[in-house]
Amino acid sequence: MTKQQANWSPYDNNGGTCVAVAGADYCVIAADTRMSTGYNILTRDYSKIIKLSDKCVMASSGFQADVRALQKVLASRHLIYQHQHNKQMSCPAMGQLLSNTLYYKRFFPYYSFNVLGGLDNEGKGCVFTYDAVGSYERVGYSSQGSGSTLIMPFLDNQLKSPSPLLLPAKDAVTPLSESEAIDLVKTCFASATERDIYTGDKLEIVVLNADGIRREEMDLRKD
Amino acid sequence: MSIFEYNGSALVAMVGKNCFAIASDRRLGVQLQTIATDFQRIYKIHDKLFIGLSGLATDTQTLHQRLVFRHKLYELREERDMKPETFASLVSAILYEKRFGPYLCQPVIAGLGDDDKPFICTMDSIGAKELAKDFVVSGTASESLYGACEAMFKPDMGPEELFETISQALLSSVDRDCLSGWGGHVYVVTPTEVTERILKGRMD
Repeated sequence: MTKQQANWSPYDNNGGTCVAVAGADYCVIAADTRMSTGYNILTRDYSKIIKLSDKCVMASSGFQADVRALQKVLASRHLIYQHQHNKQMSCPAMGQLLSNTLYYKRFFPYYSFNVLGGLDNEGKGCVFTYDAVGSYERVGYSSQGSGSTLIMPFLDNQLKSPSPLLLPAKDAVTPLSESEAIDLVKTCFASATERDIYTGDKLEIVVLNADGIRREEMDLRKD
Repeated sequence: MSIFEYNGSALVAMVGKNCFAIASDRRLGVQLQTIATDFQRIYKIHDKLFIGLSGLATDTQTLHQRLVFRHKLYELREERDMKPETFASLVSAILYEKRFGPYLCQPVIAGLGDDDKPFICTMDSIGAKELAKDFVVSGTASESLYGACEAMFKPDMGPEELFETISQALLSSVDRDCLSGWGGHVYVVTPTEVTERILKGRMD
């Protein structure tokens, strides 16, 4: 008889797609609200977006248990920062903290694929995009998660960003207006939902600008 | 790595108003090394019928030779060109003959049928046909292509608009795929003419 053994994996993939677009004075962060495992939908109304500070929002796909653990670490580190500095962390600082937090678990990683969006110290939109172990880059737009392969080429086509190798460095923010960027994000998700089974149900859009934070919703396909 | 990803490829076909377009990348690689940058994966069967073969390059060429042979026999016996629907069934049958040792390629067939009705279809390596009304994709860049086409395609485009759409979709897709790229081949076929254009893209 062949050797039988129980198998257990500490990881699962709950799917989901995140997109963030940075503009001159705004930032749009969006994610669908479906949470799946395998061919099953666990819930159609699970928010993947979390507000880390007044000017910083994170959207995460991957393994939602790890995401929650990660969010908890970031929240407690941010609370300590507020007590020590008597101010909220800036978005670029939060970007570095997220990278360090991910790399801290380099050999047992958080299975989470994050995009961080917000406004920097000058009030300009910023997007940071990550891999699971903390390699990150400041970009003008990004997409992460199960639908990223479908969305990224379309964003490239619509927003073509300058090479990060150019000297002098060029600004990566998109030339679109806030409402145009929101429409673009909606189009992206409508397309991705057609072909990606892990994306759908509802789209949650968070918009950051000088006035503060605003939340929008759009229905997506539920099949 | 899958044998389907050994050479790298990107293929797409789109339907327009009384016309269609079929496009591919031009790279032939062996895994990550680029061997040729002027590779043809789209073949003309007759003036109104094209087939693109993604996947293992050696099998695409062998399959193409067999298809040309079978089409010539058909022409001799029937004294006419094959209809796209018939041709798709032929390809499907030839692929299924090798059910347990398949040709490692995923074909895309596009043609103009009776009264110039456009026909596009794709199939897997063992000949399961998938007919589509709008667009079909295959190759290593297929996921990117699905995303791009789903966002860019609209029904009933004219030949010029169709060319622009398929080119934009192809170029933006191959730039996110390591195994395909180096420009593109685009064929736009109308009832009266076939236009072949070569696209320059990112050469890296």
